[in-house]
Amino acid sequence: MALPKKEKKYLPLIPNKVGKERRQEMLDDIQEKGTFLPKGILHADLDRGMLDFVKESLKLVVDSKSVPTLDKIITTQGWAQFTETWDFKDLDENVKLPFVCTVRQPEVKYGTNPATKYNIPERLRFFYATVPTWDGQRKGADVYKIPQPIPIDVTFTVKIFCNRMRELNEFNKVVMEKFTSRQSYQQIKGHYIPIILEDITDESVKDLEKRKYYIQNYKFLMQGLLIDEEEYQVSPAISRYLTVLEVGTKNRQNKVSTKKDRPNFFDFKFDYQVGTTGLTENYFYTADIKTKDLINVTSYSVFINGNYIGDDISTIQITNGDTLDITIVKTDVTLDSYIGTTIYLL
Amino acid sequence: MTQNRVPITRLNKFFSAEDFNLDISMGEEWLHGDMNFTLVLYRVDRQRTNKDDVYGETLEDGIQFMPPVEFKGYVQVESPENKDLGDSRLSQMESGNIKVGVYQNQLDMLAIDISYGDYIGYYETETRVRYYTVVNDGRVNSDNKHTYGGYKKFYRSIVAAPVNENEFKGI
Repeated sequence: MALPKKEKKYLPLIPNKVGKERRQEMLDDIQEKGTFLPKGILHADLDRGMLDFVKESLKLVVDSKSVPTLDKIITTQGWAQFTETWDFKDLDENVKLPFVCTVRQPEVKYGTNPATKYNIPERLRFFYATVPTWDGQRKGADVYKIPQPIPIDVTFTVKIFCNRMRELNEFNKVVMEKFTSRQSYQQIKGHYIPIILEDITDESVKDLEKRKYYIQNYKFLMQGLLIDEEEYQVSPAISRYLTVLEVGTKNRQNKVSTKKDRPNFFDFKFDYQVGTTGLTENYFYTADIKTKDLINVTSYSVFINGNYIGDDISTIQITNGDTLDITIVKTDVTLDSYIGTTIYLL
Repeated sequence: MTQNRVPITRLNKFFSAEDFNLDISMGEEWLHGDMNFTLVLYRVDRQRTNKDDVYGETLEDGIQFMPPVEFKGYVQVESPENKDLGDSRLSQMESGNIKVGVYQNQLDMLAIDISYGDYIGYYETETRVRYYTVVNDGRVNSDNKHTYGGYKKFYRSIVAAPVNENEFKGI
């Protein structure tokens, strides 16, 4: 069983950031020397990004020699002219093996990147940022709007031409290490573009009586996006506003009568006219009834709900639903009698 | 140990060994004297060549060869081919193979043999030499064409394909 190697291959002079600090670092990297708007990205930018990816991330070194990478996308037109300036040529002015080149499939298809696959129709422009402005007199702002990026799939084939199996192995190792996590990323004009390894094929020359060399194709799918700066929209925001309020001259609204506060106590007078010696009163509240004036009354008896309570009671306690009977003995039966009370609501 | 020698007597009635030797000498005089195609044979030293221990492929500048030997032969260089490298759009003009007809007598006199993988240098100009690797050493030459109508082997047809500079570039 192999033991883990404890020695470090290199000492990092700048510690790698992780977590939130790493995200901030990436954000700073994207915004460095940038504008308020994201940088536009079109087909040529994606192609350039792929070439850089091949040159930097898939760099192949065999026997301490760097295998040259063609720093151009091979097209039908450019190759003939390009070979005239290529540094690594053989006797016949052909490119000398080994080398790595990148071929792009001319067709670019609608993207399959799930992050941008679903779109909003009609190319609406969406708020991106509000940028403060100053025209020398008045502060204002510009509103920046951009449309949704268009997802595209670009297929590249990175080809290695060589005539030794070890060169193939080394390049395969480089690619596999880079794509262990299915996809790798290339930062193109501030945007992180995923690249997926789709397939590896071989088309080596195997004829017995031919010049023999290996050709292996690594097919990559770049899940790119298109952002056209021509579609950006910058419009001035509201710098000041005026509020106008119109008020009618007629007021036909009814007056609202204010209600007096409900008192905690009030006076009540039991009035016994001539010939009357008893009064019955039903109460729908709870209160203490305190007698204070007796006019032409010798004595009185109190009954609540037919039950005798007492004579000449100064405070009568009633509750909600009680029936109060007060029977009096008049001093002069020819005259009216009164019992003045104050009712305190509880 | 002596080797059994069996005289070749076929066709003897009208084509003897003297006739055969005469024709060969006349052919060699024409080829070596008049045509004078000169090639250089780099026989690979298979013991000393620095090669990969897994794939057996030679490493760059790893080919060790025996002292080069000049020899004469009849040279035919095939037409170059304009084609793409694989299915890429890397089109380029590739040199054709070289076919060399060499008298067996010449090889015997120089005490050399040409084998698969050996390299042949052919000077196209005074300063420009193209190297080929033998892809068909013509060792099996028992057909009528190579045996003068069935009499005896007298020449070999060698086919060699051009090589890249990173595989072999001479001295």
